[in-house]
Amino acid sequence: MSDDNKVTVIKPPDTLSAKVTKGGPGAVDLEAIKRAESIIADMADSYLDWVEEDLIKITKAQAELKAHLDEPAKYLDKVFQIAHDMKGQGGSFGYDLMTILGNDLCRFIEGKETASKVDLEVIDLYIGTMQIVISKRMSGDGGAEGNKVLTGLAAVVEKITA
Amino acid sequence: MRNYNLERLNFLIVDDNKHMRALVTSILHALGIKNCIDAGDGADAFKELQHFPADIIICDWNMDPLDGLDFTRMVRTAKDSPNPFVPIIMLTGHTEMNRVVEARDVGVHEFLAKPISAKGLYSRIRAIIERPRVFVRAGSFFGPERRRRDSPTYMGAERRQQSVETGPGDGELSQAEVEELLND
Repeated sequence: MSDDNKVTVIKPPDTLSAKVTKGGPGAVDLEAIKRAESIIADMADSYLDWVEEDLIKITKAQAELKAHLDEPAKYLDKVFQIAHDMKGQGGSFGYDLMTILGNDLCRFIEGKETASKVDLEVIDLYIGTMQIVISKRMSGDGGAEGNKVLTGLAAVVEKITA
Repeated sequence: MRNYNLERLNFLIVDDNKHMRALVTSILHALGIKNCIDAGDGADAFKELQHFPADIIICDWNMDPLDGLDFTRMVRTAKDSPNPFVPIIMLTGHTEMNRVVEARDVGVHEFLAKPISAKGLYSRIRAIIERPRVFVRAGSFFGPERRRRDSPTYMGAERRQQSVETGPGDGELSQAEVEELLND
């Protein structure tokens, strides 16, 4: 058998079981989980400050994209990365709509190497919608208004990309 | 839910987004973990590992200059890696099947999709504690064994095959599908 085909199985030292105990004071229980979730909820106010910064960054990146249509890949990637961060943070802090919008924007940009006029309009729409969600403090799924915002956005995107 | 006391564990959090680092640190503290340090990218994290004996690493995917995949590769295979066996939880918004397979193939133990919750993070930590993995060196791969489940009711492969045939919806996997893929 050549070295390439050789399979070696190694049992690593189990260092975790020596350090982790079951039960007793300090063990993670439902109360600890609730406590952790409530700490996350308390961070939601700070999230609103952070996301404002992200909205400024993504708007700036979009402006840079429009100004550099001869080399769009770099700036599309910049918009993608910020949207990706916003996707990850939104739902973590109770703003699920931001996760949906961030994800949809990432899926729209993913794989694009050029940016047409329509593409730029769609990206503007997503950024504008994220600004509305944050300015109206539409946490969770945004209720009926959130649904209206998402449905409206989908209809406009469908219309201009048709 | 099994209750574990995690106080003595050392965690290294690697994320280029300071808010996500703060979030993960806060969750870990609430779960009773006292020793957490963080790093803003894979290169800094690798330096930290030289003097911080991390028991579990929680690592983001998208980072510059060294991303989560490169970092995992370094931890697993670099000659100067202080602990090639350390469990790594990949924390990311990328949950498409090809991405999960890519993470698995560089030696990630667990995968946690963003947005994150305390319950989700604890369940991944618990999985690492309850299912210690042997490591496999095969060709260029070095990492935790991808175990095949022997349960007669296990339907993971069939479900994935079906998903390939019918199309994966928006292309992203649920946390349960991610776990099946990592453990198959």
